[in-house]
Amino acid sequence: MDRFRPESFLPLTPVAFEILLALADGERHGYSILQEVEHRSAGAVSLHAGTLYRALARLLETELIEELRQAPDPKHDDERRRYYRLTARGIAVAKAEIVRLEGQLTAARARRLLTGARA
Amino acid sequence: MKRALFALALLAYPRAFRRRFGAEMSDDFRRRPLGAVDTVRTVVTLAKNGLAERGVAIGRWAWFSNATPHLYEPTGRHHMFFDTLRADVRHALRLAVKTPVFTALTVLALALGIGATTAIFAVINGVLLRALPYHDDARLVNVWSHNTIENRPRNPISPANFLDFQRMNTTLDGLEGYFAIVTPTNLQTESGTEVAATLFVTSNLFNVLGRPAALGRTFAAAGETQAVLLSDGYWRRRFGGDPGVVGRTLTLYGTPFQVIGVMPRDFVFPYPGMLGPSGFTRVTAIDMWLPISFSGPTATANRMLTSSGEIVRTAHWWGAIGRVKTGVPLPQVDADLKKIAAQLEQTYPATNKGWSATVVRSIDQSVGAIRPALMILLAGIAFVLIMASVNVANLLLARSVAREKELATRVALGAGRSRIARQLLTESLLLSAAAGSAGLLVMWWTLNALIAFAPADLPRINEVTIDWRVLLTASLTTILTGLLVGVLPAMSSATVNPQATLQDASRGSVGGGRRRRARAALVIAEVALAVAITTGAVLMLRSFVSVTNVNPGFDTSGVLTWQMNLPPRLTSTADRLAFYQDFFARMGALPGVVSVGGTTRVPLGSTSVSTQLQRESHPLPAAELPEVQFRRAMHDYFQAMGIPIRRGRGFELTDVSTAPPVAVINQTMASTLFPNEDPIGQRIRIGSAPTGTWTTIVGVIGDVRHGGLEDEPQPEMYITYLQGPPVSPFIVMRTAGEPALLAESVRAEMRRIDKNVPLYDMRTLSALRSDAISTRRFILLIVGAFGLLALGLAAIGVYGVMSLIVSERTREVGVRLALGAKPSQLLGMIVRQAATLGAIGVAIGVLVALPMALLLQGQLYGIHSIDPATFLSVPAVLLLISALAALVPARKAMRIDPIAALRLD
Repeated sequence: MDRFRPESFLPLTPVAFEILLALADGERHGYSILQEVEHRSAGAVSLHAGTLYRALARLLETELIEELRQAPDPKHDDERRRYYRLTARGIAVAKAEIVRLEGQLTAARARRLLTGARA
Repeated sequence: MKRALFALALLAYPRAFRRRFGAEMSDDFRRRPLGAVDTVRTVVTLAKNGLAERGVAIGRWAWFSNATPHLYEPTGRHHMFFDTLRADVRHALRLAVKTPVFTALTVLALALGIGATTAIFAVINGVLLRALPYHDDARLVNVWSHNTIENRPRNPISPANFLDFQRMNTTLDGLEGYFAIVTPTNLQTESGTEVAATLFVTSNLFNVLGRPAALGRTFAAAGETQAVLLSDGYWRRRFGGDPGVVGRTLTLYGTPFQVIGVMPRDFVFPYPGMLGPSGFTRVTAIDMWLPISFSGPTATANRMLTSSGEIVRTAHWWGAIGRVKTGVPLPQVDADLKKIAAQLEQTYPATNKGWSATVVRSIDQSVGAIRPALMILLAGIAFVLIMASVNVANLLLARSVAREKELATRVALGAGRSRIARQLLTESLLLSAAAGSAGLLVMWWTLNALIAFAPADLPRINEVTIDWRVLLTASLTTILTGLLVGVLPAMSSATVNPQATLQDASRGSVGGGRRRRARAALVIAEVALAVAITTGAVLMLRSFVSVTNVNPGFDTSGVLTWQMNLPPRLTSTADRLAFYQDFFARMGALPGVVSVGGTTRVPLGSTSVSTQLQRESHPLPAAELPEVQFRRAMHDYFQAMGIPIRRGRGFELTDVSTAPPVAVINQTMASTLFPNEDPIGQRIRIGSAPTGTWTTIVGVIGDVRHGGLEDEPQPEMYITYLQGPPVSPFIVMRTAGEPALLAESVRAEMRRIDKNVPLYDMRTLSALRSDAISTRRFILLIVGAFGLLALGLAAIGVYGVMSLIVSERTREVGVRLALGAKPSQLLGMIVRQAATLGAIGVAIGVLVALPMALLLQGQLYGIHSIDPATFLSVPAVLLLISALAALVPARKAMRIDPIAALRLD
């Protein structure tokens, strides 16, 4: 089997990255991911159902996330709901993406692009 | 409502994706309250994403089917469908590569069929189906006067009647007029005088057609008289496409006209079908448009006004084109104009008695005449395509026999009958898809050849292009062909019995009956189609021969003809006669010239003009006067044309304007107007006026076919140019050698006589004669090619089937030979079998050909559509071909070694 290289997944699409971030603090189902993304970005990023699930499909295929067999809290189990969580590969790729973005941010700061916007 | 929309948009996704995520997605949607705008936006995004996902899925299926496992659970028929398809396609491709000759031949045969069919359709599309180059052309109609007395429904209109139609109609959004004749106009330049083909139009015509100029503008709605609009072709040819031409001044009719614009390249007006039967020239491509004026010197020059200054109602030379008001049906327009015509008949009984009106859609007016011929071509090529398909079906059927073991094995391993049929259909569709792609090339070449060989007077042939309709037809034809080719082998193989086939090693011994019947049906179908096509082709050929053998009434060999315009300075009769005297003397003196003469209307392809006539011996009221063709003969016209003088005399130099007026008439006029009397010495008066001089008939000449080789001669009279010299005559010059060689010396001599007399439309009479049958020749060539192709295909088809039958019956033949059958008996048996199939096919073919021939009637000349010679010879030839095609395999059967044949098991 090929050796796993997180860099080969970079850059992530904004939607994929948002999903990985949303799953960072635990398992969630699709709608919960939608709510989390909108809540955190204060409505700035709006995910459509179509975009979300296509992105989920790609992440599942590349095994950056996986599906839980059971709902984490059986009391709230909803038959229609599937829960997703990050895999080790997913965490590695998310970290790699963060490093990449940090690099860009540092470069932007060094060129004083952000001066005025933030100290 | 919202949920239904959402569910609908969800269908855009692949089925497997929906199964996996659909419930979640709908649930999300339900939980989220959305406004109407957001709902629509969400649904649209959903559908867009769904289609994109489908694209991804198909891409994966095609490229990485084995490499990447499907994310969404690989269940459902959807997945199966594509998997099966992939397997079938792979199998078919492997098979195609393994049998390259078979594949190449089938693809080639189908490609030729599909390509040629599509090319013919492209011509039909461009000529008959595409919109005319006007805005919303479906609403445009041509309006004509209907001469009910002489039954001419599309007679040109008189200007006064046109103005009344224009003013009184309630169903048209504008009716505009034009001269239904092309006028050769002298354009004076510094280097000499040229001729431009001109059409006079009412100034609002271009607005009704809805086409603006490409450069500059069209005519102002009213009152603009000294303006000229150029056609794109003339602008490029004469002015080198210089955009600065707008605003320049051209000298026409000795007065300055300002160029106000150039029309777009695709603009054509009028189509030849929109012109009337009379005219001054054979040319129909317009160089420039000029506005009609209803008063002033131009109006007088164009004979628009009567002697008392009123607009003319008696002379009919106008065409009219109008735009139907939105939503008004054609019959209502027709009724409207007929009502106006009836009112005019009441108001002006002297001029309008018997004149009604006709309304024709402009597209029918332009191309209606060619429609039947093109439809014949389409039917013919469709038959050829079907025959090619039948041949290929036959080949596939033969191959499915060879593959019987393979198929039986598949069935034994659990493949269903539909599964086998589907596999075979996939194969044939793949073949036809390959043929369709190759057919596009064939279509391209065929189309170019068709356009190159098409007669120039085939209307709209220059507008033929490949557009989406042609491509759509090509794909549909391809798919249909694939089904046609594949359905019979698929059906016959789907019933294969695995046990029997796998046990019995010999070929064709089981299930052979069904297949033999299928094959017999194919042979019969092919022979029948071949009989139908060939019958059509032979009927066309025999008509063509009849037309070619028609005696036109004059001798076409060795004659050069051209048209010329006299300079406008020669206004008096005496001046013109002096010019002609000098002209004929000098032209006649050129080396190689036998005789030279001229006329106002040259036969074949020129136009005609007619006049009413009074006979001194038979006085009639004005409305009942007979109408005859009217021409002038100049100098040695009858001699130069080789028209024989049957009785009396021709014109002589003594028949000058001071001598008594004389006329020469043709035999048809003599027999129709003077049936039981001697026409010589009878007196006639030209026109319907009650006063005027009488003209004496001095001679009778042979009939001449003026309108075309197929048109019966009309009553016709000539007067001499010495008693009325024309200004735009056709000259005919009989030469001792090849007439075309004299063209240059004629032009040089003309420049020496007068450089301001332009010569144009110069050609030989034999070329004119050849042009007169060019459309017929074109159609015949194509149909003839179809016929030959059909014969060849039928021969190949019969040969193929008989070879198969023989090879299948090798063992039987061996047994018969071993038991003492004579080889000649076997030969007879096989040939008889083929002949029987051929005879059934021929019988069906004749049944198909009979009604078809009746449909052809309008295209035939000189023979009846049920022509006995054709209907006897074609079936005989097909029978002979069937028998001959069986002879080769039959002889092979005779040479079969009985021992070897029996050992086959």
